[in-house]
Amino acid sequence: MTTELNRRRFLSAGASIAGAVAMAPLLSACGGGSHQKTGANTSSGLKAALPAFLSSTALTPDIASVTGGADAATDPGFLSYPAAPAATVSGPPGKGGSYTAVTPLWGTVPQPGNSFYQAMNKALGVNLTMKPADGNNYHTIVPTMTAAKKLPDWINLPAWWNPNFNTGELARTQFADLTPHLSGDNVKKYPNLAALPTGAWQTGVWGDKLYGIPCFATTFPGPGGVFHRRDLLESHGITNAQVKSPADLMNLGKELTDAKRGVWAFDDVWTYLYPSFGAPVKWKVDNGKLVHLFETQEFLEALDWHYRLATSGYMHPDALAGDGANQGTRFYAGKVLIAGGGLGAWNLADYQSGVAADPNYRRGAFDILTADGKSTPVAYMGAPSSMISYLNADLKPDQIAELLAVANYLAAPYGSAEYTMTNFGVEGVHHNRVNGVPTFTDEGKKNVQATTFPFLSSSSSVISNPGGDVVTKDYSAWQAANVKALVKPPFWAMNYSMPQDIATAEAAQAVNDTIIDCYHGKKKVSDVQAAVSTWKSGQGARLKRWMTENVLDKYGAGQ
Amino acid sequence: MSTARSERRASPTRLSRRIRLRRDKSLLLMTIPAVVLLLVFNYAPLFGLVTAFQSYDPLVGVWHSDWVGLDQFQALFGDPLFWESMKNTLYLSCVQLVLFFPIPIALALLLNSVLSERMRNFIQSVLYLPHFFSWVLALTIFQQMLGGAGLLNQFLRQHGIGTWDIMTDPHTFALLVTSQAIWKEAGWGIIVFLAALSAINTELYEAAAADGAGRWRRMWHITLPGLRGVVMLMLVLRLGNALSVGFEQFLIQRTAVGHDAADVLDTFSFYYGIAAGNYSYGAAAGLFKSLVSLLLLWGANRLAHAFGEDGLYRK
Amino acid sequence: MTNTLSIGRGKRTRNAVTAPPRSARTARPPWQEPPTTIGQAAKGLTLGGVLAVVLVPLWIIVVTSFSTPGAVNRAGGMVIWPDGLTVEAYRAMLDNPTVLTALLVSLGITGVGTAVSMVVSILCAYGLSRPRSLGHRFILLLLVVTMFVGGGLIPTFLVVTGLGGYDQWWALILPSAVSVFNILVLRAFYSETSAELIDAARMDGAGDWRILWSVVLPTSRAVTAVIALFYGVGYWNSFFNVMLYMPTDSQKWPLQYVLLTYVNRGNGMPGSVNSGFGSTHAQTAPLSLQMAVVVLTLVPLVVVYPFIQKHLRTGVLTGAIKG
Repeated sequence: MTTELNRRRFLSAGASIAGAVAMAPLLSACGGGSHQKTGANTSSGLKAALPAFLSSTALTPDIASVTGGADAATDPGFLSYPAAPAATVSGPPGKGGSYTAVTPLWGTVPQPGNSFYQAMNKALGVNLTMKPADGNNYHTIVPTMTAAKKLPDWINLPAWWNPNFNTGELARTQFADLTPHLSGDNVKKYPNLAALPTGAWQTGVWGDKLYGIPCFATTFPGPGGVFHRRDLLESHGITNAQVKSPADLMNLGKELTDAKRGVWAFDDVWTYLYPSFGAPVKWKVDNGKLVHLFETQEFLEALDWHYRLATSGYMHPDALAGDGANQGTRFYAGKVLIAGGGLGAWNLADYQSGVAADPNYRRGAFDILTADGKSTPVAYMGAPSSMISYLNADLKPDQIAELLAVANYLAAPYGSAEYTMTNFGVEGVHHNRVNGVPTFTDEGKKNVQATTFPFLSSSSSVISNPGGDVVTKDYSAWQAANVKALVKPPFWAMNYSMPQDIATAEAAQAVNDTIIDCYHGKKKVSDVQAAVSTWKSGQGARLKRWMTENVLDKYGAGQ
Repeated sequence: MSTARSERRASPTRLSRRIRLRRDKSLLLMTIPAVVLLLVFNYAPLFGLVTAFQSYDPLVGVWHSDWVGLDQFQALFGDPLFWESMKNTLYLSCVQLVLFFPIPIALALLLNSVLSERMRNFIQSVLYLPHFFSWVLALTIFQQMLGGAGLLNQFLRQHGIGTWDIMTDPHTFALLVTSQAIWKEAGWGIIVFLAALSAINTELYEAAAADGAGRWRRMWHITLPGLRGVVMLMLVLRLGNALSVGFEQFLIQRTAVGHDAADVLDTFSFYYGIAAGNYSYGAAAGLFKSLVSLLLLWGANRLAHAFGEDGLYRK
Repeated sequence: MTNTLSIGRGKRTRNAVTAPPRSARTARPPWQEPPTTIGQAAKGLTLGGVLAVVLVPLWIIVVTSFSTPGAVNRAGGMVIWPDGLTVEAYRAMLDNPTVLTALLVSLGITGVGTAVSMVVSILCAYGLSRPRSLGHRFILLLLVVTMFVGGGLIPTFLVVTGLGGYDQWWALILPSAVSVFNILVLRAFYSETSAELIDAARMDGAGDWRILWSVVLPTSRAVTAVIALFYGVGYWNSFFNVMLYMPTDSQKWPLQYVLLTYVNRGNGMPGSVNSGFGSTHAQTAPLSLQMAVVVLTLVPLVVVYPFIQKHLRTGVLTGAIKG
């Protein structure tokens, strides 16, 4: 409290805006202010908040899960779809309440009030108004909602934007505390939720209380991959086994680039390749001391490699111009053969788009590379669920229970009746069975294929691409080949909230923008070093001090 | 003019307030809606500027947020992105001043020399039109003409010349936005200059012509001096607005060219203030911009006075 | 600052309003030397070029919106010369509830907004136009200050949302309902309205409301039309306030925001077939459909503009603009 009073240097600073002076007497009246509770979860508090795990009687996958190190395992793969999906929930879970939900959507927004929404509302027994918002602008939309205090009843907040949204603080003040409903054995009322992995629930815990429902939980939170056009590389006689190190990768540049035909070997790869140089994702702990990515030698080596790539002529000019939006088009058209990307891209829709452009289309990804091509590959795991949905604190306990019952329906496992409904809609309307697998009708492509409900709650990820078995097989094989490389980075899955200025320091916009310019060949490595040293002397030092004092020293580095 | 002014109450003596109030009651009543709207949406936000001295937290509101003094400004001045957007703003302002500003004057002179009235009217109507387009529309038109999939590149591709996507090139962005601004606003800009031209006494030209002054001499000695006042005024306004180079235009194109080239002070406030949930930071940037703008306006006006012109207000 | 208050009353204003511009001049005055051929050619070329820069893109967009898919394919994109015409794109557009809803929303906002703005502005302008009325200098000052000093984006956003404006129609209208500039233009005209007429009306016992309605308004139709156009265009064109105040409620989006989202940003239109995660830019709605939406946003302007453009030309605004 005293520190806050001291921080009111405003009046002594001598500023003289009439309004502020008029407000001065009020200042002493409202001493509380917004004291943010910052820091991470305690291990005992976390344990008390987490739901119990009850494995469900799931289907036996066609491609069994392979376990790796560090609690990681590949997602189970399915090549078939049950002919008669079994129900896991009896009757509509809702009691007729009316709610609104906001989710991010990367793609075409379905028509409001469409046949699928209506069918889902009937199945769910609630009147749920879905408001999917443009995923590319989601991080600017949510803050306006927050400021206006108009958060919907149910909202999805992607974890990678937690610093932007100040999610920890939002949870404390705006979101419903789900601990009494879900912690420990309480979750057993919702068997499908209880079947979600415990690690995924951890991403929804803030200040020792459970707020978030994990979506798309996975035991293979891979960091993404360096993708390639497997069909075209194989026609050059290139296979994964030949590419072990960044040097090997660079050698492909000369062989594959044919600028006269408009073909370049590379699109952007930085985000998915720099950890292969041995650089940490953000932090590493060295003799109990924090070392930031920007301070490491490996980071500079990665930068140097990427700068050479950008200036080598092996990268597509549009990629160098920063046009990420058309990356997919370039890849499908065979204008670029190697491109970094999130693993979510390895799916049926991608396959269909690719085949539409080139019948031989086949996506592949290099195995995790290592700097020297010899040592054990390492890939740092991402959050076990990067999509978390929250309920509004204004909801009454029975409304929360109603929505959790809906969440339980949505989290039904692969192949169940509820899963079929949520992901493929009504048979005969939104999908038909073609060779036994659900295949979208036009109505389904319009309104169901654009993922909406699973952003509120969904079962653990499986690899399933009805009608595109080659995708399922390729992706499962890649996961199996790389699952051993997965390692938890420091502070993995630890939710800590930080003050705004520290969050700004962590975002390190100026450095990150210079990095982008560097791997696009517009700025030199030395420019990045200069930006880093500016950052380090101010923001970076404060960030490290804060992280050390408030997270590392108090809660450890997780792992 | 004096008749218009004294038309109503001829008596020059001051009436008592009460009598005037009764007399002007309905007039005052008429101004109330506008005054209320301005108080709410223009004056109340002025007091909202105190958030710039806070660490404003929307969850607790302006009354309960912590005061941080000048911390926001300190952070702002240490932020390379802020200086980047400042640099962009000033640079674009200069480019626009040099490339945009003379065009409406030249167009007005040119149009004024067209003899056929019908032709003049037609040209004027066409030139004013883009002013009424929204930025979304104007930029969509630009995209369809010059963009990667637009007409220009369509032509280049068909003729085997490499493509040139000027809409996403950060290096030429200053030229791009200036040409957009010229396309949309230069036509409208001629309206004041045309009025000033029409106010020049025709007899002056006649007399000069009689004295043997040619076309160019007449322009130099009569037309241009006649435009001087309004040119100075527009210049004052432009300089006073040097930090406002447009907002929607940059907001829409930011993703295409990247923030490095497209962030100006106004978009900085939006992206690093509202969109990042860092309201006080954005408010501080806004306040800084307003203060500098007022200074610039004042300075430009002083400059106009020094040249013996009225500027925005007289001495 | 007091001198600022003389906006619209200066010598130039009178010139612009009372003395007609030299638009009556058509023939070359005798003292002017005959034009040279080169000069004429250069002038013609320049003006022709300027006109083309404005008109040709519009032409191309209209042609493309009416083109058949075959014509678009043959042209490889935008169509310059008509080559197979159809109204299919317009039919598809009007079948799409998104565009239709947006059109209604835009018309509604523009209609209601313009009406509110005009009532408020006309009242205020007249209220301030009578010389020596009580407090008019102070109120005028209150108005003019807002032209130069403002809270800026964030404080305004906080005030509007603080009043509960998020997801509300009024948030798209009231914050921008008053344009001080427009009020000053109106006021400059009302100050000029013939004193004799007003005096006569007053003799007949007419109050200020009556005078405004039956004397001042009928004599200032031109300026009323122009100001209404300004307000109307402002409402019709706005999209940023939508982005701030109702970004998730796609059923409340006006046409400009639909244009931004589905044409400019190239997102798939609701109800069109989804092309998959992250690759929507590859297969957007057909070009003709997009161009039809562009044309649709132009239509109201094209309808209204011919009625108002002559007022724009006759120097209606010049006085106040100079102020």
